[in-house]
Amino acid sequence: MSAAYQSSSRNSWRLATGFAFAALACAILLGGVSAWLLGSVAIAGLSAAAFTFNFHIPAALIRLFAVGRTAARYGERLTGHQAALADQVARRVELFAAMAAAPAVRRAGWQLGDDARLADYLDDVEDLDYARLRAGLPALTLGCGLAILIAGSAVLAPLSLLPITLLLLAILFAGNRMAKAGAMAWVETRSLRRGGASRLGAAMASAVPLKAEDAWSRECTAALAALSRADGALLALRRLQALLDLIASAFGPVAGISVMAAAWHAGRQGAELLTPMLLAFSWLALGEAINGASRMLVAMLRRNAARAEIGQWTRGATADRREGTPDDIRPGPLRHGALQRRAPDSRAIGAPISLLLAKGHPTMLVGASGSGKTSLLKQIAGWIGDDAFAAGDCILSASERRAQAALVLHDAVILEDTVRTNLFAGDAPDAALWRALEAVEMDGRIREAGGLDAWIRQDRFSLGEVQRINLGRAWLSTKPLMLLDEPTEHLDDEQGQRILGRLLAHLSDRIVVVSTHRAPPLRDARMIELRP
Amino acid sequence: MKTPVVPAPVSNPAASAQDAFQALASASRLAKSGLRRLLALQVARSALRLGFAATAAMATGQLIMGGPVAAWLVAITIVFLLAACLAGFAADRAQASAEAAVSIGLRELAGKRLDEMPARQLQALSVGGVIMSMQRHPEAVAALVVGHRAAGAMMAAGPLLAAATVLLVSWQAALLVICLTPVMILFFALIGDAIRRRADAQERAFGRLAGQFADRIRTLPTILANHAVTGEEAKLARRLEAYADNTMGMLRIAFANAGIIDFFTSLSIAILAVFLGLGHLKLAMVPGFSNLELWQSLFILMIAPEYFAPFRRFSEQYHAKAEGLAAADALDRLLDAGPVAAKALPVLDRLSLTLPARGLVAIVGPSGSGKSTLLRRLADLEPRAAPIPRTHPLAAKEIAWISTDAYVPEGTLAEAIAWNAGAVDRARLEDAAGAIGLLDDALLPGGLDARLDKGGANLSGGQRLRIAVARARLCGRTVLADEPTAKLDRETAEAVRRMLLEISRARLVVVATHDRDLAAAAEIVLDLARDETVEVAA
Repeated sequence: MSAAYQSSSRNSWRLATGFAFAALACAILLGGVSAWLLGSVAIAGLSAAAFTFNFHIPAALIRLFAVGRTAARYGERLTGHQAALADQVARRVELFAAMAAAPAVRRAGWQLGDDARLADYLDDVEDLDYARLRAGLPALTLGCGLAILIAGSAVLAPLSLLPITLLLLAILFAGNRMAKAGAMAWVETRSLRRGGASRLGAAMASAVPLKAEDAWSRECTAALAALSRADGALLALRRLQALLDLIASAFGPVAGISVMAAAWHAGRQGAELLTPMLLAFSWLALGEAINGASRMLVAMLRRNAARAEIGQWTRGATADRREGTPDDIRPGPLRHGALQRRAPDSRAIGAPISLLLAKGHPTMLVGASGSGKTSLLKQIAGWIGDDAFAAGDCILSASERRAQAALVLHDAVILEDTVRTNLFAGDAPDAALWRALEAVEMDGRIREAGGLDAWIRQDRFSLGEVQRINLGRAWLSTKPLMLLDEPTEHLDDEQGQRILGRLLAHLSDRIVVVSTHRAPPLRDARMIELRP
Repeated sequence: MKTPVVPAPVSNPAASAQDAFQALASASRLAKSGLRRLLALQVARSALRLGFAATAAMATGQLIMGGPVAAWLVAITIVFLLAACLAGFAADRAQASAEAAVSIGLRELAGKRLDEMPARQLQALSVGGVIMSMQRHPEAVAALVVGHRAAGAMMAAGPLLAAATVLLVSWQAALLVICLTPVMILFFALIGDAIRRRADAQERAFGRLAGQFADRIRTLPTILANHAVTGEEAKLARRLEAYADNTMGMLRIAFANAGIIDFFTSLSIAILAVFLGLGHLKLAMVPGFSNLELWQSLFILMIAPEYFAPFRRFSEQYHAKAEGLAAADALDRLLDAGPVAAKALPVLDRLSLTLPARGLVAIVGPSGSGKSTLLRRLADLEPRAAPIPRTHPLAAKEIAWISTDAYVPEGTLAEAIAWNAGAVDRARLEDAAGAIGLLDDALLPGGLDARLDKGGANLSGGQRLRIAVARARLCGRTVLADEPTAKLDRETAEAVRRMLLEISRARLVVVATHDRDLAAAAEIVLDLARDETVEVAA
């Protein structure tokens, strides 16, 4: 985030605030002065004053306010969005960094890899991005407008303050109640939505067994019913909004009527009533702006919910974001005498095992599904737990191993970017990239897609192709500790063995650990069988 | 063989292609009565607001001109105001209710559609896509067919009402306001065209950058594993800035739309105020704008903005339209997906099979030979397939299905095992769970009371499968098992074999398997690899 961009955001907010005030002022004055002008000329028109009446100045003012209102509104929208977008860029970059440091990312099953969860998350980010534009700025200008008109009313028609204050208190009371009840309704909406979504996801994942047992219909209906109950909770929130808007929509007109009535009650007559009329029409114009009160409130409570939700992701983020030690340290064999294996939630798995990982002798982790192979790989990579490994005569902590390990996850994905970016090979020459793609038998497919600078997306590739690109990343990695998680998954047996053989030959000068649920015969390999 | 059940008639694909889902049309149908009510209330609100404006103008005008203000006029003004607010309140509530009802109704229809889908087609759908569609899209479509439609209709009714009200005082003023409309619409068309062209150009140039933040969050673990966080962060900042700059270029034109409405609203007030003022001063004799009472000119001044208000409300709904159309389209695409073609498996068509009432039947053969498909046909999950000659599919209520994707509800392990197994007492649960090794599983601490995440997210495929085996033992139904011992370690696989054999003494157990030991224990082995007419009888 450049400093220039940040200061431009601050300038934009300043400008937007200025425009917002100008727009509100012009709108209020346009209504007020127009009415005042009509009143004045009507009274002047009754007498000879008609010929001396200075018509031009108020007429010019009205034109000025009309043009000013249009221009200021346009400026307010534009600069407001400019400011919000600048903030958005800054916030999202920060959020990306914070998420990258969050421990949840390194644990099992990245939840935001799922479309539905990701969409919820993005909604939250958006609620944060636009809260200031949707709620903060209008509330500020509205507050100032209210203060000025109340002051005006106090001077011109003090008695009108009674109904105005009463109604204002009613709005504040209703707003406060709505904020509380609305926040609860919103929390309920979110939790019902999430519950229904996860239930539906579970049913979808077990579609065949559920259909076979004649239970699909029941489960699917129950999941959808939860989503519909969420719609019901949202309806409750919207009903609260309608109630607040009911009171708010009466405010401007009631204030206007009160001012006129109070002025009349104070004995003003004829021309003396012109200024109160200006004020009354100003109240009417301000009333239009108050109509958005419930939307501001909703924007605020959504922001609060979003902030809490996003805070949960980034909680416990480690402050250290530097990439540990430089990679040129080549550790000797890695050793751990009695490593207590741990699940991602740091529960212990099985009895402690002893590990000796050395280059030239790939270590195969074999075991049934659920025996903790991926967890052990992550533990070796320093993603789980806080174990120290002996590396020759030094000790490698988890964060040091994290810097030296290339963890080739079995559920790795494709970034929406160029092929080059997706290979994560820094500034390696093209020839090296092509060699890697040949080794994983993807060169033809990538050439077809348009070469190294072609823009690619996950959904254009089969699972097997994604896996092979992933293995291409492993080929290009320069890290001394290579951890391959189910490298032949989604590949047919023959191709899997061919590619894995090539890869292991290429990585013969590194420490390699491979997890697999089938144990292929491999020369020089050490086998560790894992049990839950 | 248990009570045979005649399979449902094979549905005709041509017939099902006709009844497309048509989210938009269904939603419009659902919205009809709610929309009518909403429109009635909105028209009432507009009329009452006009009434308030008119009476308030009369009262103010008379007050300023020193005339007596009738008490009834003030009373009517206040009644109009309160009634307008209440009508607005009712309209807001009606809109919220109607949208919720449409959303819920549409989701129900979509649920029915999902219900009718064969298992193979369900499996082919993306889970995330289905969740998104069921969760969000009905709401977006509802906003389109209720809120947006109502705003569109009010764009005709609102201005007409306002013009008619002005007409009561001065037809020339009404004409002036009406004449401004075509000019405004012309501007609209010109700007709308410019926005579209600009949007297309931007999509071509910057469409790739639109989802970059979402994409980088989605791919975060991959980025971390490849040590690319720092580089990606810098790149993300660059791309978001570029995208933001471009979005601004686009908004500059898009906001002109709202600007035009503002301009015409302001302009109408300014023109009318000046014309009416000149008329009062008798400096200019504009027909229709002179010789008016003050209340009449205030009346015109107050009504004129109401003429343009519906246009503004409609233009604010621009997003609702785009989102609603996209959502309807997504729902249609999801629910109208064509049937997923099953691989032709001639061996299954030659198959003739009579299943015994009890015993273990093993279906063997290499991968892709049709073991799982046969199992699914037995459970009548392949509706488009020709029925197996002389074989009746089992009734769904009599089947217990065992596989690694078995369903696991949220709750404790005990609840997961007892799910869909009828009433089971704790001792039998404990017995079944223990026999399959679920109680001494280190990854499931807490025995029967172990907490399972929603959808069994914390379970491995092997654990799910064992839960299904325990459930099958308790429920008393015919067991169909798809690869029950694959991906299990040796001891657990042995326990599963033992339990399947035990169940087969009382009931029919059909397994599709690669496991030689399991096949060896079966009374009947069906080998799909042998290319000959398969004829098996007990």
